[in-house]
Amino acid sequence: MYQYDSIDRTLVNERVAQFRDQTQRFLRGELSEDEFRPLRLRNGLYIQKHAPMLRVAIPYGLLSSKQLRMLAHIARTYDRDFGHFTTRQNIQYNWPKLEQVPDILADLASVEMHAIQTSGNCIRNTTSDHLAGVAADEVCDPRPWCELIRQWSTFHPEFTYLPRKFKIAVSAAARDRAAVAVHDIGLHIERSASGEISFRVLVGGGLGRQPILGREIRSGVQPADLLAYLEAILRVYNRYGRRDNIHKARIKILVKALGATEFARQVDAEYEANRAFAPRVEAAEIARLQAFFRTQPYAALKDIDVLAGADAPFAAWYRHNTVAHRQSGYRAVFVSLKKPGVAPGDMTSAQMEGVAALAERFSFGEVRVTHDQNLVLADVPQHELRTVHAELSALGLATPNIGTINDMICCPGLDFCGLANATSIPVAAQINERFDDLDYLYDLGQIQIKMSGCMNACGHHHVGHIGILGVDKHGEEWYQITLGGSATNDASLGEVIGPSVAKANVANTIARILDVYVEQRQSAEESFLQTVRRLGIEPFKERVYA
Amino acid sequence: MRSIIRDRAVVADAWRYAGEAGEGPEVLSLDAFLASAAGASSAAGTAVILQPTDEPEKLIPYLAQLALVVIDFPKVGEGRGFSQAQLLRQRCGYRGELRARGALKRDQLFFLARCGFDSFDLDPTEDLAASLAAFSTFTAAYQRAVDGALPLQSR
Repeated sequence: MYQYDSIDRTLVNERVAQFRDQTQRFLRGELSEDEFRPLRLRNGLYIQKHAPMLRVAIPYGLLSSKQLRMLAHIARTYDRDFGHFTTRQNIQYNWPKLEQVPDILADLASVEMHAIQTSGNCIRNTTSDHLAGVAADEVCDPRPWCELIRQWSTFHPEFTYLPRKFKIAVSAAARDRAAVAVHDIGLHIERSASGEISFRVLVGGGLGRQPILGREIRSGVQPADLLAYLEAILRVYNRYGRRDNIHKARIKILVKALGATEFARQVDAEYEANRAFAPRVEAAEIARLQAFFRTQPYAALKDIDVLAGADAPFAAWYRHNTVAHRQSGYRAVFVSLKKPGVAPGDMTSAQMEGVAALAERFSFGEVRVTHDQNLVLADVPQHELRTVHAELSALGLATPNIGTINDMICCPGLDFCGLANATSIPVAAQINERFDDLDYLYDLGQIQIKMSGCMNACGHHHVGHIGILGVDKHGEEWYQITLGGSATNDASLGEVIGPSVAKANVANTIARILDVYVEQRQSAEESFLQTVRRLGIEPFKERVYA
Repeated sequence: MRSIIRDRAVVADAWRYAGEAGEGPEVLSLDAFLASAAGASSAAGTAVILQPTDEPEKLIPYLAQLALVVIDFPKVGEGRGFSQAQLLRQRCGYRGELRARGALKRDQLFFLARCGFDSFDLDPTEDLAASLAAFSTFTAAYQRAVDGALPLQSR
């Protein structure tokens, strides 16, 4: 993985010193709340319901064991012994004290981590495929390009006060595991017949109040021109994006207002006009970054019959929580952060340390964070899987539910968040309790439930196969259900089935929807999403409101 | 007389913004400047202030006349001026004094300077002498900008 050089280290340390000074000036009254807000936000610090919330960047979701141990240390020392992994491959702490945040940032800097630009109206953490570097279907490892973008976007002098937040995701695989279409900029890396890579650029995707899928504005962007092209997009947005209304300030609104064709024309014009001043990605620089992401030093192993003589719990875990690896004798292992009764994405310090140790012993000391709020040990030898399963089970991290309806994406909701209208975590618990029969879950196959406690859509409900949105009705929590969303290659926005349902009825409503699916699917192979797309929402609607 | 930061020192400002009382030449709005510039193209040593929606490219024919361009940041979080400054310095080739004015504190100085500003009229509550240290908040940069700092691709 990428290792800081003296420049990276210096910058992160200087950022800690800067934020320490800003915090002290705020506490002394030399910075007003209005002045301090954008400064603390760009260090990931929100003021929440109960306490500040600190969001720490995990660039493109990659962590070393050492870094994961530091995240555990921070949770134990400054928080209530747990952290929450988010849908954008970050981790959030819900109970730090403002005065201690500079110390937390200093601890993070000691392991080459930071909270730079994890919030605020600036370019956020660049996200990517959690199987990058091991996926069989990728054209190249996207992470060197993510690191290039991370560095370019860090403290970019021109783009630190954008109209609104700005998120970039990169995918280099046939199957998009990075939800590229719902980002402000989504990049698909493609490889031509002659072996050259180039970038296909989507702009203006996003969820929130006005969900919309990104539009392709250009393909064939050459590696040398990538940053120049990104700068052209950002400059057009920074100059012409709306700033009069926070709800209309995302780039998606500008793209929609101009039309994708006109927006692309303006970007191309800016790109051409700026050629003399724009950054150029030197081949030597990308080669330097690529050297950090070489293939792991795999042992020469043969595939083995892992399930021979296996007991049922191991077999279920193997089938649902591990996936094929492109290296023979290896498997990628999902660490489920979706144990029933635990808030999705939450992890205790002890669990973090346990996974850090497993990564060191069995997966080259690296851990990935997924967009679905789980972790991945990407390079586990097949003959170690039983040990890994046993140890993950002991840690409470082996619930065999990856890809099932209990593998929900969920925001912190009203329990923690100052923006939320309704709780998410108790509803997730209600669904977990209602669907506790694993055989039933396995029969249902791949179904993604995504839940947000308000229309800001941190839980990506629009792109869940089943989406759940918490709304406030006269002080009561109600939940609006959507069907048919998807965040991958066939990205689509879910359709609302009808009036929202009371909190106590969410799981029952889901049960009715699933009944329709089980009755109507044409075969065991037809997925829930396929059935919804074939039938439309009517049959589901009829059953729910019968 | 107002104090500003220019060339990394606290100095007295010789200029007067439109509507301000007192001595000194007036800084014109873009419309007023363009109206006067069209009539008297030889009026050297004038000053103009750009609002966030003003297009800096409109100044290209008149760069030789301009002694000062002010870019206004009317609200906390305003960011268009950073692009206006880079455009003025790079594409337009403006070499004269370029001032950031408005809801700005020392926390923005480093980035403003990187975008080509060399003078700063900060929020009246800011301590200008104490602010000078902010120019060296960071000692390296990943991006190429007006200040010519080491871009990452030259590592």
